[in-house]
Amino acid sequence: MTRRTTSSESQRPARRGARASQVGLESRTRAWLRHHRAMWLDSAQRLAKRPLSSLLTMLAIAIALVLPSGLWLALDSARLLDAELDESATVTVYLDTRLDERAAMDVAARLRDQAPVAGARLVTAAEGLAEFQQGVGLEDALASLEDNPLPAAVVVTPADTDPDSVRVLASNLEAVDGVDEARVDLAWLERLRRLAELGQRLALALAGLFGLGVLLVVGNTIRLAVESRRQEIEVVTLIGATHAFVRRPFLYSGAWYGLGGGVLAIILLVLGGHWLSAPVTALAESYGAHFTLPRLGFGGSVLLCFCSTLLGWLGAWLAVGRHLADIKPR
Amino acid sequence: MIVFEHVGKRYGGRSEALADINFRVGRGEMLFLTGHSGAGKSSLLRLVMRLEKPSRGRVLVAGHDLDRFHLSQIPYYRRQIGVVFQDHQLLFDRSVFANVALPLEIQGVEPRESARRVRAALDKVGLLYRETALPIELSSGERQRIGIARAVVNKPSLLLADEPTGNLDPQLSTDIMRLFEDFNRIGTTVMVASHDLALITRLRHRVLRLREGRLVGDEEAT
Repeated sequence: MTRRTTSSESQRPARRGARASQVGLESRTRAWLRHHRAMWLDSAQRLAKRPLSSLLTMLAIAIALVLPSGLWLALDSARLLDAELDESATVTVYLDTRLDERAAMDVAARLRDQAPVAGARLVTAAEGLAEFQQGVGLEDALASLEDNPLPAAVVVTPADTDPDSVRVLASNLEAVDGVDEARVDLAWLERLRRLAELGQRLALALAGLFGLGVLLVVGNTIRLAVESRRQEIEVVTLIGATHAFVRRPFLYSGAWYGLGGGVLAIILLVLGGHWLSAPVTALAESYGAHFTLPRLGFGGSVLLCFCSTLLGWLGAWLAVGRHLADIKPR
Repeated sequence: MIVFEHVGKRYGGRSEALADINFRVGRGEMLFLTGHSGAGKSSLLRLVMRLEKPSRGRVLVAGHDLDRFHLSQIPYYRRQIGVVFQDHQLLFDRSVFANVALPLEIQGVEPRESARRVRAALDKVGLLYRETALPIELSSGERQRIGIARAVVNKPSLLLADEPTGNLDPQLSTDIMRLFEDFNRIGTTVMVASHDLALITRLRHRVLRLREGRLVGDEEAT
């Protein structure tokens, strides 16, 4: 902005009679900074003079910000969960039932050497039977069997957990000698991924919509402010104020509204988090999982405030730009 | 200083507010612009202030064709002219001092230098002792003098006034005109639009007479 002012000042149309206002770049920059400082303070004071209506505007902005950022937080925690699930994306390789324990160990070792395999754990037929008995509670039925009907299995952890490469890996593993079948159950993982993707898109769409809402809220407030200071705008325009000069206090007001809205949104998120955390933890524990609600954190708070301030500034810019054109000095 | 060449101004589909206006004003001149209300005095001043463009012809001020100004240059042009309004256009939420300081604030003049010039301008119009007052506390004659102080605080080379004595009694009107004469004496070009013929005749400056948008008389100073 300085630069623009500077360049048009150097193209000043009529130099005569204005010697007093021909000032150097340095003092012009100082004047520019001085006006910024003055408007920064002035706009804050104007907001503070009408605390209730300022607070209501900020609250409207905060509410518009809470929903998308809350959803974003929830997705963030889902992504953490997803990362944990990735580790459990394993391929179970069933070995030929005719192999004895030693041969099974050989096959397991061979599988471990396959290229994209991060690890392989042998579950012998006996171990498998024991697990099966524990898990399913069919001790009696199984005990009545003469032979162990279960094959030995190798649980392979793929190095690359992308569903397609896991599937390729499974078919490669099936080709290894002594392997009967390699089984992958990826459907539920894929379903979860798609849900997360849907959630992400939803959050983006909501952020877009509510961001627009913030623009409208700030825009409307600034429009009223412009209207109430119409006479002042006319007068300063008559005596040579640039558009930037006229716009400045309103831009600062918009930024203040945005910042206030951002801070209120953080407060709302923290309060909401506290309110929900007990039931969420209890619910997760009933499923035997450890899950705590994610927190915004310092970085997230700063980002939210920055975005809301920017939105406020932008809303003011749009509103002032539109309404200044309507204000023509009489 | 001011040159009008075949200037016409038409608003929308209505008849012409100004038609084929031609005149020249020299640097350092003082003149009156007169005519009934609706004769085109204000329209003419608005053209000089570059609040509007002429529909026809050219307006030159200090050698610059006002039509050629880029939108972003207009504010810098307006800083070179001081304007006094009939309704003085003061801001009622700030003090007399702040009102007079406004043009300097817009130009980014250093606060100390600004204060010095504001006090000099207030002293010139005889209202230095009211600098902390709010405009609402002043009489209309005082408000008009504050308006003049604001118009001259920037030492403009051209001073325009649109019915500056419109609401004032004859004695106050004469005082105001004397102030304009003082500024003219130190080299400022002064152009005053007024319908107060008695006052204008007494002051013996050049008079441009408008009637229904046409220039019908140009009487030299006597």
